[in-house]
Amino acid sequence: MDPRGVTFVIDSDMKNVPLVGMSVNRLCRAASFSTLDAFHIELCVVEAVTNSIRHCYGGKTGHEVTVICTLTHREIVLDICDVGPGISPGVLDGAVIQNSPGDVADIEGIPEGGRGLSIIKKIMDSVDYRSEKGKNRLTLRKRLPEKKKGTG
Amino acid sequence: MEIDQEAINHVEVLYLKGRLDAVSAKQLKEKVASLGQEKGPKLVIDMAGVDFIDSSGLGALISSLRTVSKLGGDIKISGLQHQARSIFELTRLDRVFRIYDDSMAAAKSF
Repeated sequence: MDPRGVTFVIDSDMKNVPLVGMSVNRLCRAASFSTLDAFHIELCVVEAVTNSIRHCYGGKTGHEVTVICTLTHREIVLDICDVGPGISPGVLDGAVIQNSPGDVADIEGIPEGGRGLSIIKKIMDSVDYRSEKGKNRLTLRKRLPEKKKGTG
Repeated sequence: MEIDQEAINHVEVLYLKGRLDAVSAKQLKEKVASLGQEKGPKLVIDMAGVDFIDSSGLGALISSLRTVSKLGGDIKISGLQHQARSIFELTRLDRVFRIYDDSMAAAKSF
């Protein structure tokens, strides 16, 4: 199968994030991902676009976030692109979900935010980040489920 | 997101419907903060109608738990759909919140 793709360009408004997320979900289900996998991939795109709006554009509208979805015979590739301040070096490497959420008796010690990248890294097969001359690209990859013998 | 409210045996139950994400997170935090300053509040957040949750939504739940805990109360979660539950498990927050099948069971557990 030749690569196929669709590109979404949205204004940096949080209200637009679900539009991309739900579209990616449908695309994933059409590509034979399970409902749960499609939900997880939607979540990763939502986290990435939300981070882009919040951190690259300071939560302000009037900027573009581009999401390029490419489907090959073996995987889905999602590129989330923005223009501006990128992710600081080391942030992506340091984003890990701990085995314990912290001391559950001390709710003040459990962070309210900062889970987005670690969720993405946990769900996707690979996560790469490039930033060049202010153009940033976060690339997420997830392998398609293996086809059962005797089908397709 | 829509939020409906009812009391079951002196336990306040919030029924959420829609997406709990960066757009609606503030709405939930404000709703919980508006429930008053009564000591030891007992709150159930029913998520049977939540078809999507992200890290901002999880953050709103943690913030709400902090608000209620400061008053000596607690929050219990009920009705999680399969996909939302998987995010609680993935982030280990199923160890922070007590999760019940439905709002009645959660309310009775206080």
